[in-house]
Amino acid sequence: MYDAIIIGAGISGLVCGCYLAKAGMKVLIAEQHYKPGGYCSSFKRKGFIFDAAAHCFGGYRKDGITRKVFEDLEIDKRLKIEKYNPSDIIITPDYKVSFWADLDQTINDFQAAFPEEADNIKNFFYFLINPDPKAFASIRSWTFKNLLDKYFSDNKLKTILSIPLLGIGGLPPSLMSAFIGAKLFSEFLLDGGYHPEGGMQTLPDALAERFREFGGDLRLSSLIKKIMVKNNKVTGIVLEKGSFIPSKYVISNCDARQTFLKLLGKEKIEKEFYYKIKSMVPSISSFILYLGMDRLFNFLLKSGTNLWFFLHYNLDNAYQAAQKCDIEGFGGYMLRVSNDKSTILALILAAYKNKKYWVNNKFKLSELFINRIEKYSIPDLSKHVMYKDAATPHTLYRYTLNYRGACFGWAGTPSQLAETGFKKPSFIDGLFLTGHWTTQGLGVSGVVYVGYDTAKIILRKET
Amino acid sequence: MAENVEKEIISIISDISGFDEEEIKPDTNLQNELEIDSIKAIEITVAIEKKFKIAIRDEVVPNITTVKQAVNLVNELLKQKATKKNT
Repeated sequence: MYDAIIIGAGISGLVCGCYLAKAGMKVLIAEQHYKPGGYCSSFKRKGFIFDAAAHCFGGYRKDGITRKVFEDLEIDKRLKIEKYNPSDIIITPDYKVSFWADLDQTINDFQAAFPEEADNIKNFFYFLINPDPKAFASIRSWTFKNLLDKYFSDNKLKTILSIPLLGIGGLPPSLMSAFIGAKLFSEFLLDGGYHPEGGMQTLPDALAERFREFGGDLRLSSLIKKIMVKNNKVTGIVLEKGSFIPSKYVISNCDARQTFLKLLGKEKIEKEFYYKIKSMVPSISSFILYLGMDRLFNFLLKSGTNLWFFLHYNLDNAYQAAQKCDIEGFGGYMLRVSNDKSTILALILAAYKNKKYWVNNKFKLSELFINRIEKYSIPDLSKHVMYKDAATPHTLYRYTLNYRGACFGWAGTPSQLAETGFKKPSFIDGLFLTGHWTTQGLGVSGVVYVGYDTAKIILRKET
Repeated sequence: MAENVEKEIISIISDISGFDEEEIKPDTNLQNELEIDSIKAIEITVAIEKKFKIAIRDEVVPNITTVKQAVNLVNELLKQKATKKNT
């Protein structure tokens, strides 16, 4: 009998598990994959180490949530975390601006590019780091475009501020919630660019090691088939291999649709909530290119920095093109050269298509993507590629079971913001969700927050 | 009605903050005593709007710092709604 069983060893499940186990609870984490991490993992091919999806993280400033959690769990000492400066560079046909570790330097950079908007730039950045939580509650129904329109008149500046959000939040400003945009901005751009030496996998590995030290059980390659419920209360889980494991709490760190529709089953869900799940829109997926480079190649690009390259200023069009997996129409990409300059990770947004589509198109899209990077960012790139592979939306689904390979949980639109039922469904006692499907957390620092918060809520009940 | 509104609001805040209903009093400060951060402030606002089928104006949200203030605001909005309905 466990006090808590956590489904999925993503960062949020691991963080939640560590806090519960540290407080003395008997906790099991069951993960379907053979290694922990979910989207925050790395893999090795031909001697190259690639981050699979998440390739840096934020919220590690002095009072940042990621730092607080890593210090609480004492994994900060086991990791060598570097911050790349600048964390992000945005390049368009007319501008090049950077996000620096020093906020004033970032503001200066933007002011130099857009002198007419100098005061607005400062006001905007200072609003984003506003510590008053109520300031954000008053913009709960706004889009990020509404927020940009309040501060700026220059459309190119508005687009430049939105380009990285398209990549880390999966929506153009006209569709993205202002709160989500503001949070992504303050956590990943104004305090982003952190990367652990050895690759992103070192984060879940350190958390998993710590979880075991706290007395937790971690079972890898263990798919859970059912969440069992009696009299509207969870009683435990059933593993794919058939055994029932009882537990007081069940915390799902996996896909919300899977949690409710498959693991719980339609008959256990309130009708109204069932229709809500059916009407919720998942976020878009990505096409990620992994390149291993030869040692002769001398990069002109700064290593460790996220480079956002866009050929145009219409992000609504880019989003539409991503729905069709149209690389040329998308008109941009994110590129990161690893710190040791041995690998490149490049990504664009792409919609989910079935396996057959990707069998036919993966190679073609990879070649087209390489050609475009060669044309706009790294001349002669293809001559130095020793290894290449790509993750399609279907690959992302296969490894993490996120619905349709969704990269950011539910789409972060204003109408889908703050749906509390996804974190703690009111109709079943003892069931919690944690991670990016709770409509709360995006990116590593977002899911670290949700994992920490979920544990805190459970521990408050227990003491 | 006022008593029910307070009870409902405390129940919403308890669900979202994880604090027991007994710990939440009319004068409890949401941010300092219940650790209500920005996402929870949004969740509470949205949940209250849904529960009472009201729309809270953006500019009044920052004025709510205690449970009592939230209750008063909801009562006022419910009264306005009832008056509108009757006219």
